[in-house]
Amino acid sequence: MKFLLRKIPFEAKGLLVIAGVAFILTGLVEDYQATQWTVWVIYGLLALSLTLVWGKGGIFSLGQVAFFGIGGYAYGVVGVNLIHTTGESLSALVAAGLLAALFAAAQGFFMFYGNVGDVYIAVITLATTLVLYTFMLSTSGRQYAIGIAYLGGFNGMTNVPPLTLFNSFLSQRDLLLVTIIIAAAIAFVVRFLLRRPFGRVIAGLRTNELRTQLLGYDTRRYKLLLYMLGGGIAGLAGGFYAAWGQFISPTVFSLSQASLAVIYVLVGGRASLSGAFAGAILVEGLSTNLSKGGTEATPIVLGLVMILIVLLLPTGIAPALATLLKRIQIRGGKIETRGLSPLLEEKFLSKTIPTASAFRKNSGRLETVELRKTFGGLVAVANASLTFDSSGVYCLIGPNGAGKSTYFNLLIGRYKPTSGQALFAGKPLNRMPIFRRVQQGMGIKLQVVSIFTELSVFENMWLAAYAISRNSLWAEQQAGQLLERFGLLQYADEQAGTLAHGQQQWLEIGMVLAQEPSVIMLDEPTAGMTREETARTAELVRELGKQASVIVVEHDMEFVRLLDAPVTVFHQGQIFAKGRLEELRQNEDLQNIYLGRYRNVEVK
Amino acid sequence: MNLDQLLNQLLTALTSISLLLLISIGLAVIFGMMGIINLAHGEFLMLGAFATLAGVRVGLNIWLAMLLAPLLVGLFGLLVERLLIQFLYGRLADSMLATWGLSLIMVQAVVFIFGTTTQGIPTPLGNFSLGQYSVSWYSVVLILAALLLISVVFWVFKRTRYGLLARAAMQLPEMAMSLGINTRRLNALTFAFGSALAGAGGALLAPITGVVPGMGQAYIGRAFMNVIIAGPGVLTGTTAASGLLGTVEYTASYVSTPFIGQAALLIFAIVLIRFLPTGLSGRWGKQL
Amino acid sequence: MFRFLKVREKRVKTASRFLILTMLLANLALSACGDSTKSATTDDKSDIAVGSLLDETGPLNIYGKPMADAAKLAIKDINNNGGVLGRKLKLVSYDTQSDTGKYTQLTTQIIQQDKVAVLMGGITSAAREAIRPIIDRNKQLYFYNVQYEGGVCDKNTFLTENVPTQQLIPLTQWGIKNVGPKIYVLAADYNFGQISTDWVKQYAAQFGGQVIGTDFVPLDVSEFGSIISKLQDAKPDIVFSILVGGNHIAFYRQFAAAGLGAKMKIISSTFGVGNEQIVLSSAESKDIVVAYPYFQELTNQTNQKFVKMWQDEYGKDYPYITDLAEATWNSWHIWAEAVKKANSLDREKVTAEIEKGLTWDAPRGTVQMDGATHHATFDITIARANDKKGFNLIETQKAVPPAFEQQVCNLVKNPETYTQFTPGQK
Repeated sequence: MKFLLRKIPFEAKGLLVIAGVAFILTGLVEDYQATQWTVWVIYGLLALSLTLVWGKGGIFSLGQVAFFGIGGYAYGVVGVNLIHTTGESLSALVAAGLLAALFAAAQGFFMFYGNVGDVYIAVITLATTLVLYTFMLSTSGRQYAIGIAYLGGFNGMTNVPPLTLFNSFLSQRDLLLVTIIIAAAIAFVVRFLLRRPFGRVIAGLRTNELRTQLLGYDTRRYKLLLYMLGGGIAGLAGGFYAAWGQFISPTVFSLSQASLAVIYVLVGGRASLSGAFAGAILVEGLSTNLSKGGTEATPIVLGLVMILIVLLLPTGIAPALATLLKRIQIRGGKIETRGLSPLLEEKFLSKTIPTASAFRKNSGRLETVELRKTFGGLVAVANASLTFDSSGVYCLIGPNGAGKSTYFNLLIGRYKPTSGQALFAGKPLNRMPIFRRVQQGMGIKLQVVSIFTELSVFENMWLAAYAISRNSLWAEQQAGQLLERFGLLQYADEQAGTLAHGQQQWLEIGMVLAQEPSVIMLDEPTAGMTREETARTAELVRELGKQASVIVVEHDMEFVRLLDAPVTVFHQGQIFAKGRLEELRQNEDLQNIYLGRYRNVEVK
Repeated sequence: MNLDQLLNQLLTALTSISLLLLISIGLAVIFGMMGIINLAHGEFLMLGAFATLAGVRVGLNIWLAMLLAPLLVGLFGLLVERLLIQFLYGRLADSMLATWGLSLIMVQAVVFIFGTTTQGIPTPLGNFSLGQYSVSWYSVVLILAALLLISVVFWVFKRTRYGLLARAAMQLPEMAMSLGINTRRLNALTFAFGSALAGAGGALLAPITGVVPGMGQAYIGRAFMNVIIAGPGVLTGTTAASGLLGTVEYTASYVSTPFIGQAALLIFAIVLIRFLPTGLSGRWGKQL
Repeated sequence: MFRFLKVREKRVKTASRFLILTMLLANLALSACGDSTKSATTDDKSDIAVGSLLDETGPLNIYGKPMADAAKLAIKDINNNGGVLGRKLKLVSYDTQSDTGKYTQLTTQIIQQDKVAVLMGGITSAAREAIRPIIDRNKQLYFYNVQYEGGVCDKNTFLTENVPTQQLIPLTQWGIKNVGPKIYVLAADYNFGQISTDWVKQYAAQFGGQVIGTDFVPLDVSEFGSIISKLQDAKPDIVFSILVGGNHIAFYRQFAAAGLGAKMKIISSTFGVGNEQIVLSSAESKDIVVAYPYFQELTNQTNQKFVKMWQDEYGKDYPYITDLAEATWNSWHIWAEAVKKANSLDREKVTAEIEKGLTWDAPRGTVQMDGATHHATFDITIARANDKKGFNLIETQKAVPPAFEQQVCNLVKNPETYTQFTPGQK
């Protein structure tokens, strides 16, 4: 019994409590209050959808009301047609959510699979809303009818039926009750989802989309799913709105309506689910209270509120106050200084490399044939034919602008080659997006530290492990083990961004290792490391080279020397020389190319 | 098609294009040079129109009033930058919201000052005949004004010290900072310049539209679209985008209805963005 | 492993949840404050609450502000003349901010919280259609005082301003007779414009004219270059303008600038409602012919008294008393008269009084309520915009009835009707 109780998630309990409170509350309020509160909750639901998409997913959907409006019209059209045949309109509400989600899918596919930039997403979503506005405005003719439902143009749809439940119309109070319960249910489902692996990947892609791709996640798909979910919720809210007012008109698509949704979220706090409702209720309550008695001041007050919030409380009112309260509770938090790099601990190396699990991908030979990349007229890489065996360490060196980084980016898929081929275990890579290469067994670490700074250290590691296993439990174990081996376990629930720089480097290397890759690609892994750390890294890389193919792009000759591996020198986009470092040092031309650097190394 | 009909079509289409350019060049400068999307841009246009109106009312010559309006709006822009925008660099969403709030305030403030309806300015200069068509002289003024504004923007950014610094700051902000360029002052100037251009656009609109407090809303959508289609090239992009969108809109609404014209404009823009996600000038590099 | 994560979050969550609860309570307190204004309509001594919902801010304030001014003045006038039933009226008004969603909320609030005896307001047809279901649910008496596309047939609703037939018959007839037979219609692209255009086509044929072109212009278009070109190609005698709103004002200006006024004449059923003749210069608006029930220039005594009262209240430089403002003034008085006659505030009794064909000596001339349709019959005057920001009256047609509504709607016979008829609908 106790076990069962513990099994009931927090969300379900919360929903029960809210339903209970709402039940009592709706028994006490007057009808007009019920009417008002219902629409506030509906706007809250709209804000929730935006919080989900924008606050949680980082997609700035400025036109979220498009889905709200589509939902409203869907409810209207389906409701008007249904009420005369089946006598119920509840299924129209379902249609509202589904249709909006479908529309979001179409639009999202267009945006996310077209790799449209952030600013442009804001613009495209807003423009879509305005197109819908213009379109709905012009549907006043009688030819614009679906079944027996007239779209009505500027005047909107009239005769929209109220919501039915068990084949009877809901009163205002009952509608309030139903709205609250469904809104709360949705909020809790969203909360639940965000704590599932799905939510963590979403958090990851918001914080660092490139890293998420480099871990092997198809971020486009995740964004699309999130966007559909947000669209569906907004559509449902729109359906409720049409049922509430028994009316829907194109003004739901207007610019001011679009901005209102954003204002709710801004006031409530971008990433706070409950804040979405608080924001909507606060703004709507304020504007309703201001509207009385012809002062004509509402726009000025609303405008000022927006400006002040942006300037003074950029996180939103609720979170800002919450932080304030927390600060009072804790009384001056202290920032602890981090310990030494774990790397310098004894016996570190032997523990670091995970033993291969079932998720390790089969290794194979990575090769490039006549790979070429040009930017405009500039040839960045030409005639690059190289082969990397399934184990061993390979170094790519060359002065700045020699083409080694371009080559590296061609290998990992950030650039598409102009001509030539890249093959991995015999499979062509050219058209393969980054995340799929990672799924094939590539592990990638870029030059600049790229981790999820806003997520906890544990979540960082977990995201890496989950990417290859899709098994939350295994990912937890793997992450825990790696954190322990890298000496980061004590920071597991700290924000990764608070780690010292060296520790962040190690976290990222750990994340790559957690994926048990068969090809490991490291771009200047020792940037910013001390001499001692560099030495240890070399040791680690050599060790890794026994099991996997490790490709290192490096500037630091000392590190290359320590690796004692075959070296390929790039010069002016071409492969200039290959061989052991000792052999290459004899080469006069190479000395000339590298004069400055060699001298530095010698002096050291 | 007769010659006079052709000429008339050409002239009207050119006027459409010029109008598009006039209403969006200010927005383009602010967006292109500073990365700020000014949602109050429509209200800056409105302010330019009202400044012209006020000038005419106190007895100024209409052309003089039109010259003073940009200065006034530019000063207002300077004020807005110092009080509001300077805190919002690099915060795209926040800057959009703050300027949206500003636009709400501006509209209502103008209603308080001028009322909901005010006497407008008649279109000056009369008309001339083009075969069987009669055409307003003012539409020629609009075309010339658009050319003039393009030249002014070109001159300011290419031939003045400020322009050089501003372009440097746009392309390499850190570098500019480390070279000791005062980016604060530069940003304030750029915002003021963009506002002044919006003011000029509004001033030129005043004699062909109804000067009412809510007039900005009619233009903001199209100006916005134009700038996005234009991409990062403030001058080249905006000119090209105005030409393209103006032609599409004019042709579609002449051949069928204004609704189709508007719809064609928006759909064309969205499709274009799909294939050129960084706008027309996205591949031309960070030029003017 | 998840337990690492939970401890810190919990504290923040509790804090914000507590806050949200506080906010909710604060909001409840705020909305409860309104209750102090509650007035019981049954109490014989207290003021009678009456309600007005108009867009006083936002893009529709061009129409809303004069109407709100008219409502205030009308209530003041009624109270100065002893109120009704020996009690004073108290105006409860909310600004709907040009947001249709606000109408649904505020209509319920004004009916249930403020318990108004009558509700007037709504400007766009969209607003009216948002109000009507609530009116119907609450059995509330409601007046809509704006010219609209016609056809509403609803026991609880009175529609006191003109419908298309009332303006379009005189206007089309006059135009064809005095200007020429070829008509080009420019209409705002929404229900009002579409239905009006259908009527113009029908009447043009009836009076020996012909519609040679039609363009529906979206409400947010303010660039008329292509339309001006089309007009020059089509060469009509008459441009029939059914353009609406602030953006469309640009048409008249661009029309005049292109010098088209010398080639064709504009007649309009909408010019002036948004004070277009004030916004435009006299040179631009001169010669445009319109037809309305009310003009500030009407010379009858009632109007002169009305204009004086208005200017005493709002100043001599008030732009122009719009047709809608005068209609609002009339409706308040018509309701007050009906209450006096019924000697009751009861909805059914008041409705019955109005349905008897109540008349009111309005600034526009005699207004007679049309009992069967809940619309009104009144004089329509054709006038031409002059060079003094006003109109020169041309001719007046006496007692023009709402013809179409009379064919389709009879609320005395069929009080249960709740619909909006459109032309051509069976």
